Amino acid sequence: MITLAEPIKVKDWKSDVKPIWCPGCGDYGVLNSLLKALSDLKLDPDHVAIASGIGCSGRFPAFVNAYGFHGVHGRALPLATGIKTANPELTVFAVGGDGDAFSIGGGHLPHAARRNVDVTYVVMDNEIYGLTKGQPSPTSPIGMERKASPYGTYDAPLNPIAMVLSYGASFVARGFSSQPRELTELIKRGVQHQGFSFIQVMSPCVTFFDTYAYFKEITAPMPESHDPSDRMAAMQLALERTQYLGVFYEDNRPPHHVHMEELQEKAGNHLTLEKLLERFQR
Amino acid sequence: MREFTDGSTAIVRGALAAGCTFFAGYPITPASPILMTMMRELPKVGGVAIQAEDEISAVGMCIGATMAGARTMTATSGPGISLYSENIGLAVMGEVPLVVVDVQRLGPATGGATTVGQGDVQFVRWGTAGGYPVIVLAPSSIPECYSLTMRAFDLAERFRCPVFLLTDKELNYTMNTVELDEYQDVPVRERGAGSEGPGMPKTQDSMGLFAPYRYHPPDGVPPMVHFGQDVVLRFTGSTHDERAFITKHPPTVDALNRHLAAKIEEHRDEIELVTADLEPGARTLLLSYGVTARAMREAVQKARGGGQKVSALTIHSLWPTPETAIETALDGVERVVVAELNLGQYRREIERIAHGCEVLGINRVDGELISPDQFLEVIR
Repeated sequence: MITLAEPIKVKDWKSDVKPIWCPGCGDYGVLNSLLKALSDLKLDPDHVAIASGIGCSGRFPAFVNAYGFHGVHGRALPLATGIKTANPELTVFAVGGDGDAFSIGGGHLPHAARRNVDVTYVVMDNEIYGLTKGQPSPTSPIGMERKASPYGTYDAPLNPIAMVLSYGASFVARGFSSQPRELTELIKRGVQHQGFSFIQVMSPCVTFFDTYAYFKEITAPMPESHDPSDRMAAMQLALERTQYLGVFYEDNRPPHHVHMEELQEKAGNHLTLEKLLERFQR
Repeated sequence: MREFTDGSTAIVRGALAAGCTFFAGYPITPASPILMTMMRELPKVGGVAIQAEDEISAVGMCIGATMAGARTMTATSGPGISLYSENIGLAVMGEVPLVVVDVQRLGPATGGATTVGQGDVQFVRWGTAGGYPVIVLAPSSIPECYSLTMRAFDLAERFRCPVFLLTDKELNYTMNTVELDEYQDVPVRERGAGSEGPGMPKTQDSMGLFAPYRYHPPDGVPPMVHFGQDVVLRFTGSTHDERAFITKHPPTVDALNRHLAAKIEEHRDEIELVTADLEPGARTLLLSYGVTARAMREAVQKARGGGQKVSALTIHSLWPTPETAIETALDGVERVVVAELNLGQYRREIERIAHGCEVLGINRVDGELISPDQFLEVIR
């Protein structure tokens, strides 16, 4: 992680493009927490890259003064994997919504997790498709009646935390857009974690599925007694009805790009003085 | 010196010679040998090869890696190109240099997974939504697998677009004896050496901010700057202004879409590549590409040995269509015979160009190669 001596102020991390999310959208809180985390960590805009897919979350990179790649629906993780692998000096984020992460892009999540790519994946979960005007998502509750599900939904919602724990993600956390201070801390921990960091952020959609009151009711702080190195305990908490906010799990196995360096050495590409100097000059 | 080798090996060597540093692929017959050889060879030179979870991820990783500074290649077969489709569009719109190898096999769906075919000729050209041009090169020999892979990397840098290397199962799998001096190196441009010249661009918008998508004139290519070069920039797959911010402003969108086509189509002369073996007085022109061109060349030798006059044209740059070279070859002949392992996909292009000249096809879709004898039957 490349850092600066003095932090860049939050306002300078903002680009000159203003978000056009609906007033009251949870994503404003997520954006502000992320900007604050970038500033607190003294990161350098020349060394931060953000990849996104499609959805209300997709335009996220346009609002941050850092490298951005707004790709196609559900494919932020492959982009982020390519970016981090090609230039491990970059601090890489992937951002998306519940449709992007768990539906169309659901096939990439287990593999980014098991590869342990050093990417912080912030998923803004509003339990609905907002951009396309209110269709049920993989995290929508059973019985949700909307225009696209006029007789109510029957498909059981996914449990993203339990899912990602079972995928072997090395950092698993949940935040809430209405708790920006806690969310900032979670994002900071996710960035500092060397490996794949998954952060599910409950981020309500005021227009199509206003869950502010519901999220407030079912969320609770992570029990202080919880040991984040205990995967079984993390799974237990993930399966409860209460949606705990905080770090469920963290382990410190080496990330993908470190394995790639080992592999190159095994293949006979030994790090010579010239190569070291070349790297330094870059 | 000579060696006994195959097309897949030559493609990997060409990629390494071109400075490829990143490869991602997903196992598929008959493209898997490229993935396996890359997995073995790229780490030796400090590069990274990844076996992705699927084709969508493979091409997505390549696009991300390119934008963070790598030279990238991926390889698949027809069914994999289907899955690449959306991200090919992203590379077109995002102006991402990328080399895609399509080792063709027979038929739709699983088709003949271990059987030769040339049925992706139109598919790779029109393989993504919106219908914008890409560049497609087709080697017809093992040494050409090497040199055209290098050329694909160069054209990808020059035009900031996906460049396809269209081969087939026989070209990639069949071992051949090759004279080592037949391998020809092709110079590959440095990153950023777009139409505005090499080095770090100073492209700025009216506010003095960096504009990664500024092109001038309309057929110019924005100089490529990637993540990590100390200028904050963005890439996007949406219609965008020069700073990569989404726009629906009709004049900006119109200019962008015309630019994506013009930067390739206005520069056909830089891309056009054929081998013309024209004989004065010949009434028949044989035309082919890829593995089928090998049988054509053998037939030409036999025919001429028997006193017949015949001309032959091997197309190496299938898209954009090398119209100038085709028109030159058509001059003075009465008929052109287009041979390909499909039901006449490239023949459509020739019919479009061959005013008044009879256009015939030799076509096979039974999994066998077109033989030299099939060519000899049509020469008169």
